[in-house]
Amino acid sequence: MAERLANRLRFEREFRGWTQAELAARVGVSRKTINTIENGVFIPSTLTALKIAESFERPVEYLFSVVED
Amino acid sequence: MHDIHDIEEAERLGRARSRIFSVLAVVFFAGQSMYFASSPETRDSHARVGAWLILVILMLLLLATGGFLLRGRKVRDLLNDEGSRLNRLASQALGFWVTVLSALALYVDSMFEPVSFNEGVHILVTLGVGAALISFAAREARAHRLG
Repeated sequence: MAERLANRLRFEREFRGWTQAELAARVGVSRKTINTIENGVFIPSTLTALKIAESFERPVEYLFSVVED
Repeated sequence: MHDIHDIEEAERLGRARSRIFSVLAVVFFAGQSMYFASSPETRDSHARVGAWLILVILMLLLLATGGFLLRGRKVRDLLNDEGSRLNRLASQALGFWVTVLSALALYVDSMFEPVSFNEGVHILVTLGVGAALISFAAREARAHRLG
């Protein structure tokens, strides 16, 4: 069975009223990278995942989870 | 926290980069089509080979660095963040496979029709570098477009 990484980035970002560019500025990556992570196209490195979690003040395992298709 | 203006500039430059790379690859392939369509006697003039060589070196430099070397460090780091670096690596891998498979095809072809060393290198480098550049431009354009 195929596994993929699901995330709650868009939900958390929109809940705070942040744009992708604002989240990108907090994390220190480009808007394009936030965009591809939100859409599940790109799996971020541990470093970036931790920085995103820090920006949202949420545990990384809350933001990212492995799901089976 | 990064400056939002740096994020916006990196975004603008990233979009421009994928367009510039696409156009450069199309111009490159069009130029090489004309090169191979011309007669072998006039094909290998110093000017034509020199222009090809300069373009190839420029494209390799762009593929290796991501371009925009004169921009500030912060913007360049954003422009070449881990998403772009991964796209670049995937494109370079594609360039490698295109080169190897083209070399195999050329090897088989040379059994039926002689291919000079210079012609062979020209074909392989053109296909490998061109494919890598187009692939990088397409991956970056897709990443900008999603959402």
